[in-house]
Amino acid sequence: MVLENQDNRNLWEKIGDFFSANSIWMKWYCTGCGAIELPPTMTSRFDMERLGMGPMATPRQADVLLITGYLSSKTLRRVIYSYEQMQDPKYIVAFGSCTINGGIYYDSYATINQLDKYIPVDLYIAGCMPRPEGIMNAFADLITMIKKGQANGWRHYQENYEWYKQNQLDSLKEVIIHDEFHE
Amino acid sequence: MTLITVLITLLTLAAVTYLLSLVNSKLGAYFTIVTSLATIVMLFLIKDSIGQSYSLSFFTFKLTTVGWYFSMVMVTVYFTTAFLNPFWIKKMIYPAAYNLFFLVSLIGTIGMFFARDFITLFICWETVVWTSTFIIQMGKSRKSSYVYYVVSAIGSMVTLFAMMLVYQVSGTLEISTAFSALSGQPVLALIVFFTFILAGLSKIGIFPFHVWLPMAHGSAPHTFSPVLSGGLVKMGAFIAYLSVTAFAAYEVFANTFTIMGIPAPLYIIMVLGAISIVVGTVMAIRQDDAKKLLAYSSVANGGYILIGILLYDQIAFAGGMLHLISHALASATAFITIAIVAYRTGTTKMSELGGMIHRMPVTYTVYLIAIISMAGIPPMGGFVSKWLILQGLADRGLLFLAAAAFFGSIGSFMYVFRPLSAVFLGQLAPKYEKIKEANIMMQIPMYLLTIATLLVGVFPNVVLRVIADIQLEAGIQEIVLVGNTIVVSNGVLDALRVFIVFGYGFLIALVIFILRRKSRRVTLMDTYTSAEFIHTPELLHYSSNFYAPFERLTKKPYPVLNLYEKVSIKIKEIGHMAESLFSSSKPAITIFWIIIVFAIFFLGGVL
Amino acid sequence: MTVMNFVYGFIVLLAAFIFQTALTGVNRKVTARIQKRYGPRWYQQFLDIFKALRKGSITHGWVFDFGVIMALGGIMATVIFIPVAGFEAFPNMDNVFVISYLLAVGMLGMAMSAAGSGNPWASIGVSRALTNMVAYDVPLMIVIFTLIFAFDTASVSEIAAMQQGMGVLGWNAVRMPLGGIVAFIALFGMLGKKPFDSFIAPAEIASGPMVEYGGKHLGFMFILHELMTFIEVSLILSLFFGGGSSILVYAIKYAILYTLVNIISQVMPRFKIDQAVKFFYRVPLVFAIIQGLVVIFLGWGVSVWF
Repeated sequence: MVLENQDNRNLWEKIGDFFSANSIWMKWYCTGCGAIELPPTMTSRFDMERLGMGPMATPRQADVLLITGYLSSKTLRRVIYSYEQMQDPKYIVAFGSCTINGGIYYDSYATINQLDKYIPVDLYIAGCMPRPEGIMNAFADLITMIKKGQANGWRHYQENYEWYKQNQLDSLKEVIIHDEFHE
Repeated sequence: MTLITVLITLLTLAAVTYLLSLVNSKLGAYFTIVTSLATIVMLFLIKDSIGQSYSLSFFTFKLTTVGWYFSMVMVTVYFTTAFLNPFWIKKMIYPAAYNLFFLVSLIGTIGMFFARDFITLFICWETVVWTSTFIIQMGKSRKSSYVYYVVSAIGSMVTLFAMMLVYQVSGTLEISTAFSALSGQPVLALIVFFTFILAGLSKIGIFPFHVWLPMAHGSAPHTFSPVLSGGLVKMGAFIAYLSVTAFAAYEVFANTFTIMGIPAPLYIIMVLGAISIVVGTVMAIRQDDAKKLLAYSSVANGGYILIGILLYDQIAFAGGMLHLISHALASATAFITIAIVAYRTGTTKMSELGGMIHRMPVTYTVYLIAIISMAGIPPMGGFVSKWLILQGLADRGLLFLAAAAFFGSIGSFMYVFRPLSAVFLGQLAPKYEKIKEANIMMQIPMYLLTIATLLVGVFPNVVLRVIADIQLEAGIQEIVLVGNTIVVSNGVLDALRVFIVFGYGFLIALVIFILRRKSRRVTLMDTYTSAEFIHTPELLHYSSNFYAPFERLTKKPYPVLNLYEKVSIKIKEIGHMAESLFSSSKPAITIFWIIIVFAIFFLGGVL
Repeated sequence: MTVMNFVYGFIVLLAAFIFQTALTGVNRKVTARIQKRYGPRWYQQFLDIFKALRKGSITHGWVFDFGVIMALGGIMATVIFIPVAGFEAFPNMDNVFVISYLLAVGMLGMAMSAAGSGNPWASIGVSRALTNMVAYDVPLMIVIFTLIFAFDTASVSEIAAMQQGMGVLGWNAVRMPLGGIVAFIALFGMLGKKPFDSFIAPAEIASGPMVEYGGKHLGFMFILHELMTFIEVSLILSLFFGGGSSILVYAIKYAILYTLVNIISQVMPRFKIDQAVKFFYRVPLVFAIIQGLVVIFLGWGVSVWF
């Protein structure tokens, strides 16, 4: 997606992307161990609010979903559910190697190995775990990508919805659980 | 057309309705609509002859502006509520009697408002009490009608005592002249004042007598609750009005101890009004039954009306009088909407309902407008009247009454929102998926009342002109009305302009909203649940214990009810004792008592 | 009432929005400095609002949309009635009861829309917000009542004008110190600042009434919040801190008052909602009643200060 260089946005979309880039609210959802790096990123030491970023309570309000590390299949359902509740344009930033290839959990029965088979990832941050500097750097990159109109994961998800859905079903059987604990 | 013709026509129509109901109860129910409509028409016809007196055997009537105003409020409520009668009439045990009592109580109120002497006043009053007692017990519980009757009877008997006392002193029964004999006797005047106003207090549901309202309103037939709350409790306001005009409390007590320029006896009654505002508000917040909640809100609003009328001045009196009509309209509307919800779902418990807006949008909108008025938010009727009362209180510096009024008006946001949220908004339970909107016949009264509420809120001066006439009749300074503006000594209100500016703001917001991208429609269950999967709508509906933190603060035992409970137990014990003395299984003892009683009765004079 | 009134009204609206939003942005920076951070750009609040308006949104039925529009409409109407430094878009409409009850239209609309989303968090938030309102509004209204009695007018601009010309000593907050304290504390409750922010607690009830809003609805809520802040701070400023003789003085005093509230609230913890009610009914209510009795029976602080 990053490789697509042609820019066919109209003026309004460019202005809209300017606003989106400078005000990114993240869904405060800690899926894995990497979430521990976020408090220092938010607070006095690194101060993510400089970039116009801040935490938000619900997916309806948020722009970016952070997958902070390994993702168990149980959590994946919730991630998908939350991601689908978010409003477009929406972005996903994946932390660490676990989201790329499973990391040290590559052979675990309970975690998934390759995140972008299930939901579209706009940006990966390398490291296990990435330090706050790395996270800040990634957010700066995300802002540049949004400004250039290159963070199109949500559009990709809409266009290839069938494919993503099939992958999700293959791995999880069903995304939304119906059992005696939830009925 | 004279008042006598009106009353006789109405009585004839009531009889016709009764006969028709014997044949076909539904037809009779439709006839109640016709009769109440005829009443409105006839009241308009007799408006020109205000000031004249009539008599019919020993009944004497005088056509007054205030009586006309009260009758109009009453008959509006009766007329609109009558539209519901055809749908409930099959559920009544005695349908023909229901129709008859419905109309007779209307005629009774009209007779009472135009009464010129005490006997007419009392007989009409009792007619209303009796007929409504019989109607109330056709509802859910018989006990509530007993409570209603006992409280009413205490009030009316004490008032009868006051009337007889006045008669003894003055030798006349005519209301306007009889009280003037009291002017030289302060102690007697004090007794008469408190005993006379008691009927009014018990009817309007002022603090120690408010117990009957939630019971009677809550368990009366759904078609009669709007009348009870919107109409009949306003009879108490009429007694309060008489106590400041005919009784002239301000002149009679002019030499007594005054508090902020108000004679102490009147101030005591006003403090009771303030207490009932607070108690009504706090209790309304804690109810789970929507009808009981609205009943307690009637207690609170009764306090406003009482304070307004008893202040008897240029501003607050007009506010109290206007609050009479705005609360009558709002309360009747709210009760009608709850009645319709109950008609469709079979319950008035808020914790069992939810999401009705998706099935009954019209009912919801009507209820919304009613509560906007009830909470005193512009641009509806309730705002103008509360504004006048608050301005009047601020003008006089009545701090404690104002504190209660503020608590009541802000607390009303809490309790009026409760049914809105729990009954109409929130998740729709699957068992109510197939609920239908109210049918067109039921919608008519809702539209009428809503339009009336809005008109009172936007053009309050139409009503206030009548109230100015009442003030002229009562001999106090009239409220100043300039075009569409109300001018009081410490403020100006142009309700139309408030409405227009609100519309302007709404328009700007609407334009911005429409210009932005259209929203995607999602189902109610597609909502933020902390990413948990929940499939049961009932579990996602927050309706019980809605104000739990506030309820925790007000959980103290409720002393008045306990006191009444104890008194009723004692009375029952005395009754049992008497019963055991007289009706024992051994006939000899009974005969013994009968002989003793007869002996005392016959020989009492000799001994 | 001419077309010009509506144009003036729109100008007031726009100015109020821009001024308050910029001030909120600056105050985010102030907050950041208190927390030893650098903080966002001063215009960050504008970016947030326009970003929210730009995003896609969802709706849970017509009341979800209608409530939001009604809320913003009611609040906008209230802003139009607010007198700013003696300037009124609609003359003689600045009655304090009209303003404080018209404000309730906005709150009702917001509550209605939030409950219409069918989310229990939203209902809990609304229930807390209404309880909070009962807590702070009664003491505040009693103090305002005292002012109306003392000055024999309910017009905000007239009360503001009566305090001017005597410097700081003319302010009602100084003339009636207890009333001033009540009003200042009530301002925290009105603005939903800590310690009275339990109804929008983000971590506890997922931001309460705001839980289901995204996109343009959320943008509306942000605009609404800015305008509501403007109304509330203006009301307290005009009634207790002397308003302003010119727009510049008004703006400076406004900024100082708002920033002061913000700074104090940043070092506060959060009250539970019943603690808030208890607090308001123990301290400010008693203060308000004492102040009322002093003014009504003794007449201190009414006529001339010295």
